[in-house]
Amino acid sequence: MEELKFEQKIDLLEKIVNELEKDDVNLDESIEKYTKAMSLIKECDLELKTIEEKIAKIVKSDGTLENFVEKN
Amino acid sequence: MNDKYLTVSVVTQYLKHKFDTDEHLRAVFIKGEISNFKYHTSGHLYFSIKDENSKINAVMFSTNARKLNFKPNDGTKVLVMGRISIYEATGNYQIYVEEMLEDGVGNLYVAYEKLKEQLSKEGLFAQEHKLKIPKMPKRIGVITAPTGAAIKDIISTIQRRFPICEVLLFPSLVQGENAASDIVQNIKKAENYDLDLLIIGRGGGSIEDLWPFNEEIVARAIYDTNIPTISAVGHEIDFTIADFVADLRAPTPTGAAEMAVPSIQDIIRHLEQLKIRTNENIYKKINYNQLVLETIKNSFVLKNPLILYENKKQKIDMYNEKINNILKYKFQDSKNHFTSILNKLELLNPISILKRGYSITYLNDKVITDTKKIKEKDILKIKLHQGTLEAEVKKITEE
Repeated sequence: MEELKFEQKIDLLEKIVNELEKDDVNLDESIEKYTKAMSLIKECDLELKTIEEKIAKIVKSDGTLENFVEKN
Repeated sequence: MNDKYLTVSVVTQYLKHKFDTDEHLRAVFIKGEISNFKYHTSGHLYFSIKDENSKINAVMFSTNARKLNFKPNDGTKVLVMGRISIYEATGNYQIYVEEMLEDGVGNLYVAYEKLKEQLSKEGLFAQEHKLKIPKMPKRIGVITAPTGAAIKDIISTIQRRFPICEVLLFPSLVQGENAASDIVQNIKKAENYDLDLLIIGRGGGSIEDLWPFNEEIVARAIYDTNIPTISAVGHEIDFTIADFVADLRAPTPTGAAEMAVPSIQDIIRHLEQLKIRTNENIYKKINYNQLVLETIKNSFVLKNPLILYENKKQKIDMYNEKINNILKYKFQDSKNHFTSILNKLELLNPISILKRGYSITYLNDKVITDTKKIKEKDILKIKLHQGTLEAEVKKITEE
């Protein structure tokens, strides 16, 4: 399976939690969903903790990128 | 040594004197278009009058403004009369408008309304053509001026809210004659940079300053690009054609950045909420199942297993009795039936009739019931209840 994007993980997580909150899910299914949700939460947590801050870049007329420096 | 240097005030006063004593400047008639119109609470009006090439600052004091027979606004084409002088505090020259008349409707507004109507008819503003703005873009392109507040606001807002997002600035002209085509070129260029989102805009300015964003080529480029686009032109109150055609309109550049990315703090909180909900739910479910199990364990039957046996036994007894009863009735029924048949048979038995004194008469072993069948001297056999006799017919009497 292709690695999900962060946004997709959050969406999937929300879907699972909503399903989990329905009354007609049996315990076995619930535990399966719970395990999946917890592992997604862990992955998202980790991704948030290892955030790499991006620096704004300016696209020069020749198409190359250069770090953007504010000029006052 | 310093005597030849004049103070700013003196120079300004000198120039003001020059203006004020020039009779050509005492009553000037100007035609042009209003821009940057501001209505001050004091009732004074501050604005500029401009044509394609030049602009003059204007002020109209409340005593004169009260006499206006129309509501001036940006873009209103006007004829004004007033004196031109210098405002010493800023050193700017301006016209002190005494009279102002409306001169048809401003050309720019006509062009704006015409283009808006045309593009609207073509469906460029239609909701079904709007692209979905991604929730968490990884790379955002910004088409705006490389200097000024707009780009600073956008970058700082994005970095504060969602620092994992990369911002690529496509420096562009945002006012003046060449701005529109520059913006269009940058939109096309941006398509090569794998962007999730594009912000196109600039900070506030006069209607003329914002004009490139009302140009048809800009509108069409925004419509044509396959990158979701947020427009952010000027202030909250400024609506440009670009705003209508963009997938999302932001009131200001900062607003655009806020709409473009989620706050990472919000995501962390959201994730925390999801975690709590997940845990709460699974415990609720486990507790519920435990309760169900407990209830079952405590059920009367499981606590008193004999009852299962007793119930069954009682049932068996009941059926047993039922079967016995049924058999009994069946037997009685059959017996009654048999007796009644026997009685019937008894009635039909000819022997029992003979008992009562009747007899059977035979001629040649055939039963005779009619005297026509016999003649005198025939020998008849007569069967009685007990025994048989033979007799000769002596006389026949017909009845």
